[in-house]
Amino acid sequence: MSKPILSAKDVVVKFSLRGQILTAIRQASLDLYEGQTMAIVGESGSGKSVFTKTFLGMLDANGWVDSGTIMFEGQDLAKLKTEKEWLKVRGKKIAMIFQDPMTALNPLRTVGMQIREVLEMHQGLRGEDAKNRTIEILGQVGIDNPSMRYGQYPHEFSGGMRQRVVIAIAVACNPRILICDEPTTALDVTIQAQILELIRKLQKELNLTIVYITHDLGVVANVAEHVAVMYAGDIIEYGTAEEIFYDARHPYTWALLSSLPQLGIKGQPLYSISGTPPNLFTEIKGDAFAPRNPRALKIDFVHRPPYFRVSPTHIARTWLLDPRAPKVEPPEAIKAMKAKYARYAT
Amino acid sequence: MLRYTLKRLWQSAVTVFIVITVVFLLMRLLPAEGYFEENYDKLTPEQRENILRSLGLLDPWYVQLRTFYASLLRWDLGKSIVYRPKVDIAVILKSKIPYSVRFGLAAMSISLVAGLAMGVSQARYKGKWVDRIFTGYIVFINAVPAAVYLIFIQLYISKTVGLPILFDRGRPISWILPAVSMSLGGIAGYAMWMRRYMVDELNKDYIRLARAKGMSGTAIMVKHVMRNAFVPMAQYLPASVLFTISGSIYIESLYSIPGMGGLLVDAIQRQDNTLVQALVLIFSTLGIVGLFLGDVAMAIFDPRIKLARGGGAR
Repeated sequence: MSKPILSAKDVVVKFSLRGQILTAIRQASLDLYEGQTMAIVGESGSGKSVFTKTFLGMLDANGWVDSGTIMFEGQDLAKLKTEKEWLKVRGKKIAMIFQDPMTALNPLRTVGMQIREVLEMHQGLRGEDAKNRTIEILGQVGIDNPSMRYGQYPHEFSGGMRQRVVIAIAVACNPRILICDEPTTALDVTIQAQILELIRKLQKELNLTIVYITHDLGVVANVAEHVAVMYAGDIIEYGTAEEIFYDARHPYTWALLSSLPQLGIKGQPLYSISGTPPNLFTEIKGDAFAPRNPRALKIDFVHRPPYFRVSPTHIARTWLLDPRAPKVEPPEAIKAMKAKYARYAT
Repeated sequence: MLRYTLKRLWQSAVTVFIVITVVFLLMRLLPAEGYFEENYDKLTPEQRENILRSLGLLDPWYVQLRTFYASLLRWDLGKSIVYRPKVDIAVILKSKIPYSVRFGLAAMSISLVAGLAMGVSQARYKGKWVDRIFTGYIVFINAVPAAVYLIFIQLYISKTVGLPILFDRGRPISWILPAVSMSLGGIAGYAMWMRRYMVDELNKDYIRLARAKGMSGTAIMVKHVMRNAFVPMAQYLPASVLFTISGSIYIESLYSIPGMGGLLVDAIQRQDNTLVQALVLIFSTLGIVGLFLGDVAMAIFDPRIKLARGGGAR
């Protein structure tokens, strides 16, 4: 495999909250490869957004990267301190779009100005050049009649159109990496597909590396080549989409997949993971998922598992992969899915 | 935009008409003593009736209303009766309004510039010492009765800085203290609202996107936050400008400025009915015009306001 474009290693992120220290990200590592699509999945509060925000230096004021490295184009982003240093990366090399397009744009400035601003800042375009380029970008993200739309305000756009504008802002400077934080959650289903299609199109045109943050596994299956599963601030399993969906190894990934409504059996209650995620204010011992895991081993409560390599592209942080571990079967639903896939593959 | 303005203009005109009518009719309920100079007791009932008749006050109310409108259209506000007998009210106002308006505008300019700067710096350095000191100032101004610090300023500051203690029309330097005193409350008000609206804006999603696209903190403040925070304030500015006419009762009497402050109170106390009527009319009309201009200003700043159908955008 080629060299990663961005490589985060053992990143630890802490927040100070009402005098207490909270560890939001616990030594998470992730590699992004040029032109590829990565999805980060996990439940709310697992640290998906916080982790990716460290790539842009956009943590809230009370949070900081405590240790670890984030290598990007030869520099360690974790070492950047001042706003000035970040401005060379943020929006220019690494861009991010957010969940709710209805509130992401300034209601009092024209759409054109909000895109143009980026070009003026990062590419030094001025006057007519900036305007023409803005209109070109509006057309590129699939907005009809861009020169008329240029002078309009956000309230004159529908939700899907606004998300296109947000995407236009993000890609205006040809960034290397685009982070999409639940880009379709706030949109209705028909629009979702269009937005995903647009992102895919732009990825091809601009050779973008894309990170999706989502808890919609349907979106993941649709767009991602690689999937990272996060739990309690750690990436507990990482692999290609096929490996995660059909050959998952971590009990949390099993549980997550079993919660898919599609895997439910008619007449039986849907599967849900019992218990709650661990308290991040206290130090987590062993495998963070162990207390909620009916298949947990004794060692899961004592030692944190290392990564075990399943295939060249697939790693998982669970003691079940240790050669000395007893053989533990995944849940029926997972096995059924795997069997179905095996038949389908041959 | 034009349709919106015309519609609001029409609504304002109707409101002014209703207000004028109601004020006029209410004035008819005041005791008739207010239509005589200070010799009410010395007059016989016949003499009183003659005076009232000559003023047209014994006509039926609709006739009176009609004559009143007719004179208003000629810009005739009537004559004062007790305050300065037989002098045109317009003449009385003409000598007083310029002082109040000049002081008012000076105070307002100071308040706006200093208040907005204060509010902006508070929002920018929220929670830091700048914010705390200015918040202290705002609390002080709002909590301590104005009389306390205004007298302090007049008596002590004038001495320490060497500024005149009373207003003197010939000495420009004597303008400083009253104007500054008048602006203290305004500064606190503008600072408080500006800070509040800016902090509101700062927490909105679009600020996060603006950051993500790589704008510096200063650029975000100037291009996005300040402008948006100013919109809700723009609504009240025209009314404040217009109301500088009414002057400040306390400060004008403190520095003996011959302005409008206290004129209404005087007129009511001395039962000068025509003067009260003219003043109430002017103030209420100014209020309505101020609201109208404020709405227009809002529509200019906020593109979402097109036509007031339903609740509008904000």
